[in-house]
Amino acid sequence: MMSPLFERVREIAADILQVPAEQVTPSSSPETIPTWDSVQHLNLVLALEQEFDLQFEPEEIDKMKNIEQILDVLDSKIEAPR
Amino acid sequence: MAISIRPYTEEFTPAVKQFNRRLVEGGVAEEFLFPENHVSDWLPKAPTATVYQEYYVATEDSTVRGAYILKHQQFALNGQEQTVGFYRLPLSEGIVSKAYTSVGVQMLKHALKIHPMIFAMGMGGFTQPLPLMLKAMGWSMQAVPFFFRVNHPARFAMGMSALRTTPLKRLIMNIGAATGGAWAGLNVLQKLRARARDRSVTVERINQFSGWADKLWQDVFPHYVLIAVRSSEVLNRLYCGEGSHYHCIKVLRRGEVIGWAALYDTQMNGDKYFGNLRLGSVVDCLAKPGDETAVIQACVDFLEERGVDLTVSNQTHSSWCAAFKNAGFIQGPSDFVLASSKKLSEVVGTLEKNFGRIHLTRGDGDGPLRLISGTPAG
Repeated sequence: MMSPLFERVREIAADILQVPAEQVTPSSSPETIPTWDSVQHLNLVLALEQEFDLQFEPEEIDKMKNIEQILDVLDSKIEAPR
Repeated sequence: MAISIRPYTEEFTPAVKQFNRRLVEGGVAEEFLFPENHVSDWLPKAPTATVYQEYYVATEDSTVRGAYILKHQQFALNGQEQTVGFYRLPLSEGIVSKAYTSVGVQMLKHALKIHPMIFAMGMGGFTQPLPLMLKAMGWSMQAVPFFFRVNHPARFAMGMSALRTTPLKRLIMNIGAATGGAWAGLNVLQKLRARARDRSVTVERINQFSGWADKLWQDVFPHYVLIAVRSSEVLNRLYCGEGSHYHCIKVLRRGEVIGWAALYDTQMNGDKYFGNLRLGSVVDCLAKPGDETAVIQACVDFLEERGVDLTVSNQTHSSWCAAFKNAGFIQGPSDFVLASSKKLSEVVGTLEKNFGRIHLTRGDGDGPLRLISGTPAG
């Protein structure tokens, strides 16, 4: 059972990275998704900031190297159930 | 291991060399590598300097995974003096390894924390990775108009003969074809466009800027919504340092200072854009409002007399763009992009709205790097 937070992140990531949603898994990263480059990473960060109405610090962006880690950082910043 | 962004100190020199080596192995051109000396050879930080650069490295433990340069400079923003940052040469290991894709974003956010009012300039066109990132972050962007004037059509034709693919070359070819007389036609076109010389204007070569430049600065800065401080202290640091190859001129009308310019005269050698031409550059300039054309005509005379084949400049302000056209310059295609952060645009207006009221030249940003990459001539 996927968490609501994962579903939201997956939808955003799929949209930004131009891949089918089912291709986005917790282990997805720039190394597993070819379209995930530095520009799209920024677009993903910005889209998440907008979606969750928050700002990531450079240190937090450093921890966002795959979807699982993005969920961890989001978890620590918001109170949404995972 | 976490990425940490910190000032580039001497201990990181070997790690920067290794970082550069990995970039080269990954296909990055050597002209885009990061400086391997932690002390900037251009505008190093100094106790009294108001314009200086600092280097930062993004490290993973003791390994460098990214680096960028931040230039600090005083600007007049709507008449108020404030520090503005210039974001320069961001290099990330993400270029060659997807494990470091986030380093570019981290460096940009780091720079924005130091200077929310920041700009970037150059960047090679709107479709390069950095402009794409800046656009995604909501930065305002415009291409900075490029102007050129051919002084020796025959030498220009020969000097440009090695070039086949640049937009400038194509434009020149089109103009030559359109005027029917090829290079001679271009010369005629420029002369037709150039306004008659103001005979009351004289030029003095200077080695230092002094009180007269400060007075001019005080008189003119309120006319611009954004302009880097051009006091004598700043100008001397930028253009009159030890070993400087700039040609600085003071322009007068009947003995009264109406403006100045910082010029460069360089012999190119197989340059990607300018072949083997002797290239003159109007790097920087300032004038009393209404006297811009007289100052640019003085620049043209000065550089023509030195024997340059081609004179070029990039300008933003509408009065300066008009002055270059009045002096016989032709506007060419430009991949020289100006990008302004959201905070800077909040203060001075977006570039879409206020671009023509901003005075930025090749003396701003990272300076006239490409224009002076040849050998100083004369």
